[in-house]
Amino acid sequence: MKLVVACVLVAGLLLVPPPVLTPPSYSQGVDVFLNVTQGGTKKLGIAVPEFVRVSPQDEGNFARVIPEIIGNDLRFSALFTVVANEPPLPSDPEAVRKRFADLAAAGAHAAMQGFLAVAGQRVTVEFRLYDLTNPQFRQIASKSFWAEPLRNHRGLAHRISDEIVYQFTGERGIAETKIAYVTRSGPNKELSMMDYDGFNQTSLTNLQSISISPVWSPSDSTIAFTSFFKGYPYLFRIYPFNPRRREPELISAWPGINSAPAWSPDGKSIALTLSYPGNPEIYTLRLGTSDFRRLTNNRGIDTDPTWSPTGREIAFTSDRNGPAQVWVMDAEGANPRRLTTGSYDTQPRWSPRGDTIVFTRRAAGGFDLWAIAPDGSNERRLTNGQGANRSAAWAPNGRHVVFESSRGGRYQLYTMLADGSEQQPLTRNRDEALSPTWSPRPQ
Amino acid sequence: MNGRPWQVTFTVVLLFGASVLLAGCPKKPAPAAGTGPGGAAGPGAASGTAGGGPGGPGSSGGGDSAAPGTIGSGPGGTMGGGPGGPGGPGTGGPGAMAGGAPVTGTTIPALPSPREFVETSALRDVHFDFDRYEVRAQDKPTLDENAKWLKQNGTALLLIEGHADERGTNEYNLALGERRAKATRDHLVSLGIDGGRMTVISYGEERPLCTERTEACWAQNRRGHFLVKQ
Repeated sequence: MKLVVACVLVAGLLLVPPPVLTPPSYSQGVDVFLNVTQGGTKKLGIAVPEFVRVSPQDEGNFARVIPEIIGNDLRFSALFTVVANEPPLPSDPEAVRKRFADLAAAGAHAAMQGFLAVAGQRVTVEFRLYDLTNPQFRQIASKSFWAEPLRNHRGLAHRISDEIVYQFTGERGIAETKIAYVTRSGPNKELSMMDYDGFNQTSLTNLQSISISPVWSPSDSTIAFTSFFKGYPYLFRIYPFNPRRREPELISAWPGINSAPAWSPDGKSIALTLSYPGNPEIYTLRLGTSDFRRLTNNRGIDTDPTWSPTGREIAFTSDRNGPAQVWVMDAEGANPRRLTTGSYDTQPRWSPRGDTIVFTRRAAGGFDLWAIAPDGSNERRLTNGQGANRSAAWAPNGRHVVFESSRGGRYQLYTMLADGSEQQPLTRNRDEALSPTWSPRPQ
Repeated sequence: MNGRPWQVTFTVVLLFGASVLLAGCPKKPAPAAGTGPGGAAGPGAASGTAGGGPGGPGSSGGGDSAAPGTIGSGPGGTMGGGPGGPGGPGTGGPGAMAGGAPVTGTTIPALPSPREFVETSALRDVHFDFDRYEVRAQDKPTLDENAKWLKQNGTALLLIEGHADERGTNEYNLALGERRAKATRDHLVSLGIDGGRMTVISYGEERPLCTERTEACWAQNRRGHFLVKQ
């Protein structure tokens, strides 16, 4: 059969060069107190007292609000227990030493100190971090942070949180990340975005159509998704941080479905599902080219590709053996092997750490999230039948997962740790919130 | 068997260039949070000597703001913190992108828009078993009737919608609806209908006919639906 088809693609990679700046703060060496990859239960106690105001103006009560946000971030990280709602540290050195000794006796391993100044639309925080396990209460870090306008104070708090996580783990936190997701409004599905903690929700599309499967690129600048707004299910991308580029750009418009996008770890390729040759198969597309490569070729449905963090393998859903199950193949399509044995296993998502694939399993009429190692070992259930639980997405640290759940009635977003612990609601919206995707850390 | 060589094609021009031109824009809009290494904001911080230069969004401004005063002090601390580092380069500066602006033309087949098709009472839906996409024996008479109508209305074009119930995941259901629509089309082809008159579209689980959570309702949603364009 003749293919009169060609594709449309966008030279995306050329658009926003990922500015690979390592902030100076992160280039310093740090003593690593916590090994985040071990996932142990030992948490580090940290005191996050109110800030000291050094300017008369603080109408937003930032001296209290910003430490609260930091405390929430640190609790969410699951690396810390937080001693919060403490009064500001005193300025007298002896009094501070006494307070540190008290906090240490109460189990705190570290203490944060902040000095807050507000001037016009700029809020500045002079930040210190102390090791309370050290007899001298050694100062670990000293930095200043600012934000403007004032409404961006949450971003400032998140940056300080990430600095604290970095100081104790050697790895940046994720408090500055965003989550994009699908909002169902009436018959339509539109894309939305919010801070990783659910604040600052904004809508990304108003296409009056159905848009699904948003996936954030590794370079932070763009989100790929499938939308029906041109009639057929084509693949597009939007630029969430560039208000001048709100019109979706077309990536793939073959006849049939153009669905289930997945970015390669280097951000240069997209794996996707196309059905123009007959039935849904997985392809890769090198962005900026028309180089579509077919990876699967069988009579069943192949979809839901997800790359390993090395870029060398792709996990996917296939029903070639009958039921939909999770398979793995080399990134060129060779060597497919079945990973799961359920009767309906879909939506595999490979962890950024590489050691786990989370997927959605339907069993006994319900949906739950499960995890399995890429070699097929260590299969375990993460959610436990509280409503339907689907559409997992990894945080860039590979420690947190966001997903949709109907446990509270209508679908909303929830988060948990990679082992299924600490499940908690993220959104409580009037409209359903679905299909989350977690941004990379800002660069 | 599949997508037709539609007679009309249109050209889509890739405007790499325009995109590239935009690349120099700041990555994120105005709200900014900055950090600066180790500078200390003095009691006069309100006057703007706070650490962190006025760098671009997300950039790091440095400064040798060697503690011109102190905001509080901590035991064992060096008050002002360490020396300021060199300012980091700001993001969003111009010139990171060199770029030719190749303008490439490529063609895609212009399928008739789904919006050009209308509902008709002459064509009845077919339905599918849970998780299946084969045309069921009991639905074959329906397709016989539909084929008869299509032969009587020889110029009518057909849009076949494939739908799934909600008991699946979005992406798999989109594929499942595609299989159902194509299985329906292929059966009509086997009854002598020219495949060139038929276009398929999958809506997956996104356009349910019935929204209750009952088997009766789900069964209605697992369907192949027909629209026509005269």
